[in-house]
Amino acid sequence: MQELEHAISTIRVRFGSQALTRAAEMPPPQPWPSRTELDRLTGIGGLPRGRLVLLTGNGTCGKLTLALGLLATATREFAHAVVIDPRGDFDPWALLPFDPELSSLTVVRLDPDSSGEAATALARAGAGFILLMGEIPEQWLGPMEAGANRSGSVIVGVVDAPGRAFAHASSVSLGFTRTDWVWERDQLVGLRTIARCLKNRVAPPLGESELEIRYPLGPQLPFARPVIEVPIEKADFECTSAAV
Amino acid sequence: MHVCCGLTGHLELAKRPDLYGGAVIVGEWESHVIAASEEALPFGVLQGMPLRQAEHLCPQATFIAPDPIAASRLRELISIALYDLAPVVEVRVEGIAWLDVSGVVKPGESIREARRRLRTAIGREPRLGLAPGPFSARVAAARARPGRLVQVENARTFLAPLASSELPLDVEQRERLDLLGLRTLGAVAAIGPRELESQLGREGRRAVLLARGAEPDELTPWRPPHFTSAHRQFEPPVEDREALLFVSRALCGDLAAELGLRGAGAKRVRVRLVYESDEPDERVSTVRHPLSSAAELFGLIGGWIKEWQPRAPITELWIELPVLEAAGRRQLRLWAGNDGTSEEVIAAFERLQERHGDDVVRKPRPALLSSPLPSQRFDWVS
Repeated sequence: MQELEHAISTIRVRFGSQALTRAAEMPPPQPWPSRTELDRLTGIGGLPRGRLVLLTGNGTCGKLTLALGLLATATREFAHAVVIDPRGDFDPWALLPFDPELSSLTVVRLDPDSSGEAATALARAGAGFILLMGEIPEQWLGPMEAGANRSGSVIVGVVDAPGRAFAHASSVSLGFTRTDWVWERDQLVGLRTIARCLKNRVAPPLGESELEIRYPLGPQLPFARPVIEVPIEKADFECTSAAV
Repeated sequence: MHVCCGLTGHLELAKRPDLYGGAVIVGEWESHVIAASEEALPFGVLQGMPLRQAEHLCPQATFIAPDPIAASRLRELISIALYDLAPVVEVRVEGIAWLDVSGVVKPGESIREARRRLRTAIGREPRLGLAPGPFSARVAAARARPGRLVQVENARTFLAPLASSELPLDVEQRERLDLLGLRTLGAVAAIGPRELESQLGREGRRAVLLARGAEPDELTPWRPPHFTSAHRQFEPPVEDREALLFVSRALCGDLAAELGLRGAGAKRVRVRLVYESDEPDERVSTVRHPLSSAAELFGLIGGWIKEWQPRAPITELWIELPVLEAAGRRQLRLWAGNDGTSEEVIAAFERLQERHGDDVVRKPRPALLSSPLPSQRFDWVS
């Protein structure tokens, strides 16, 4: 124990008092309430500010629809909601049914290598909400997270299967798995999906929820309604916090 | 217009807070009284009277010599401290601070903060007045207890019963008012401006307008200085880019601290590298939104230095901010909630556009939303 204390004090002397912080002394992450079921899954009543939240899952599992709902809410609440779109396929038309405030929305289209620079610069500057439509290079993940941590930006990434570095950099990772389609009058109107908390650095994981996601066919349709909530007893999360 | 006035006592007195609580008179020997503390006033000491007479009236007072440079420096510091609380701020060495809080989102917060900052700067609770104009605000503040606010809705009604000696006139003009029987501001307000102008000249006209609450005087807004710079000499000369970046980051930090103190932002940035054996290199840029934080400044300057190819060892690095702009506008936006960092984000967008082209940052504007062609649905504005 004494050796551990000695090691801690050595690291603090060499790298500064903030290099190691006891978990009990760390400030709790501030939530941004998105008013969706994700708030319950993160365990802190909202998406954590200053951290990276990943929405992952194979195609047509509802993650992008959910992300667009979050983006629309963010455009109404923040002065700047930014979409970083390395693939160049973001269409704001898909956002319209969620009633966004388009004057707050900015789309940054850069090649994947430069998108990390953009995300970092905007997180440092204090953009309220940043939606990453793809992965960013590994070397930018640390600066981006540090910048967001300082400014309190909410960063949400939408990827099918995150790379090792991207998954490691995230503080909350939610995996989506489609379970069923929703048909009405022979028309496809949505899907049912299970949202699982795969990783949570900000709170103990609260399990999973089954969501019914309606495609935004009209402005009156709700986009996410939990129909069944199944708490998971066993914690299946990874804890990679550097806190002592 | 809504003007808040904070009265603190003459700034010549504020430079000696250790003498608070006693009678203090400021003035040059063989000259006139420049300022007198509240404790000296009951003895009949008045500003402008000969110092010998003041000594005769209040011999127990502490007499100190004026220091106009220190007083004006204090005035500058108070102006800086109040600058981000209202669009127009004027501070006078007589111990009057005016803030025009018209249009401020939360004037109550602004006034509370002004009281706190004045107390910090002076070491005493200021008296506060809120009224439609500077004159009525000053008169209202003079009637407030220390740390309290007197609010005036109708200036004319408030001023009417007060003595005409409140008007900013010299002794002779006050005597003439007295001889004319105009002993209250209500009486002055009742006569025509031209009539009093014929008696007292232009000052008479102004006095009538002041007594009517018409507030003919406008505040003279304080503005931060317009130029600042920081530089570092290298001995021996450096060739290492990392060293340059390190030094430029430190200089940006110094400049940002100074800008923060002045409530200013840099509208133009100039970086100059002085070589050991060659003509200096320089790079200038005008930014759309003023840069005020170290991160904003270093974001621009660091980008330049990273791509700069120095021709020779560098002996000096200069960072100059030749055009400064008020950042008060930025501060006020903080109170609207949620967009306090808006201009830093816009600056980040502009830096991305400078590096990668205008098309990388765009905003969608609805055009033909019903069009089946995605390209026609939105106009993309850079």
